[in-house]
Amino acid sequence: MVTRERVEAVLARVRPYLVADGGDIELLEIVGTSAVVKLSGMCATCPSAHMTLHLGVETALRDAIPEFGSLRVA
Amino acid sequence: MSPNESFSQDRLVVGRSAKMRAVFEFVDVISRSDSTVLITGESGTGKEVIATLIHQTSRRKHRPFVAVSCALFSETLIESELFGHERGAFTGAIKDRAGRFELAEGGTLFLDDVDDVPRSMQVKLLRVLQNRTVERLGGTRLVPVNVRVLAGTKRDLRQMVADGSFREDLYYRLNVLPLTLPPLRERREDIPVLLDAFLDRFFRARGEPTPDISPAVVQAFADYSWPGNVRELENACERIAQTNTCGSVRVGCVAPHILFRALPAVSPEPEIRTAVVDAGPVSLDDRLKEVEASLIRWALDASHGNKSKAAALLQIKRSTLGDRIKHCGLGSRASATREEPFVEAP
Repeated sequence: MVTRERVEAVLARVRPYLVADGGDIELLEIVGTSAVVKLSGMCATCPSAHMTLHLGVETALRDAIPEFGSLRVA
Repeated sequence: MSPNESFSQDRLVVGRSAKMRAVFEFVDVISRSDSTVLITGESGTGKEVIATLIHQTSRRKHRPFVAVSCALFSETLIESELFGHERGAFTGAIKDRAGRFELAEGGTLFLDDVDDVPRSMQVKLLRVLQNRTVERLGGTRLVPVNVRVLAGTKRDLRQMVADGSFREDLYYRLNVLPLTLPPLRERREDIPVLLDAFLDRFFRARGEPTPDISPAVVQAFADYSWPGNVRELENACERIAQTNTCGSVRVGCVAPHILFRALPAVSPEPEIRTAVVDAGPVSLDDRLKEVEASLIRWALDASHGNKSKAAALLQIKRSTLGDRIKHCGLGSRASATREEPFVEAP
């Protein structure tokens, strides 16, 4: 089951790098097997960084939680 | 002149680590030599770069440097590539063609992936190295060659000799001056230096000033395992230079697999010693206990000491694992490990 705790555990691994760069990733909600997050900081406004982070976080979530569906960036 | 200073910036043979300094010193020492060098190193560690450096520091530097990968050609093609052919030697051989040995006349020939040379071809290579003459395919004339040979291998040739897949005589012929290039994970202190050097080069190629690199990026690079070695790091830097839009290198520029490197992969199950080495009696109980202890250690390592996860890996109950740990005398080790996961302080 995709729970807040499991998603947060994965985001916690990713977060230190983002925070160190003045950004963050915030879990807004879980919808079924998917999650909605919000990116902030400089990288949130860069198109290529946005894609990188979206894909990277989604892959990390799927690796850790096999039943994970998709990631939406609000 | 100090070799690590004179070549580090321009030629991008970068490294301050003790292991790389040793390599540079060795290259400096052998610069006056004409002997064969065997460069051993994993894929991406820079075998060809070092081969170029050896050529550039040698007396042959004004003569050609020819690099050829022995893995590129089929068994029949490799002979024609290395030794050349005469017109009509085979279908499609419409004119005489010099091989790489002849093209490197007076200079240096780098035979990369020499571990991929088929066994049937190894004997021919040995003859050339011994006699310093080549015979073109379909030819009858022996052409003398004055070539310094460098060989590159990603596999341990000594091991291949032991396996019988590489000729021992050729190994000794090649292994005159052995040089081993360390994988990047064994010289991690060079990672920030390489990061700076490559970014500088790629941004310069774009005609842009090199932007500031955030500490988080340096950290992400330092934490990554770099299985593809310097080549992988070089490509990661090129990606950053090509996708950067904000004038400063931040985490968003870093390839996702580096930034979000997968959870440490579960190591493969330990090898279980089952062969009976000597003819003496074997205690089945003791041997089973060894096997059990080895599997439990593996499971605890793979789950970072989390006993519930380790029990799941071994497909036994958590309580059973506790009993087995005691039974195998692993008590002190296991008690030093973390008890339960995901219990966060409120």
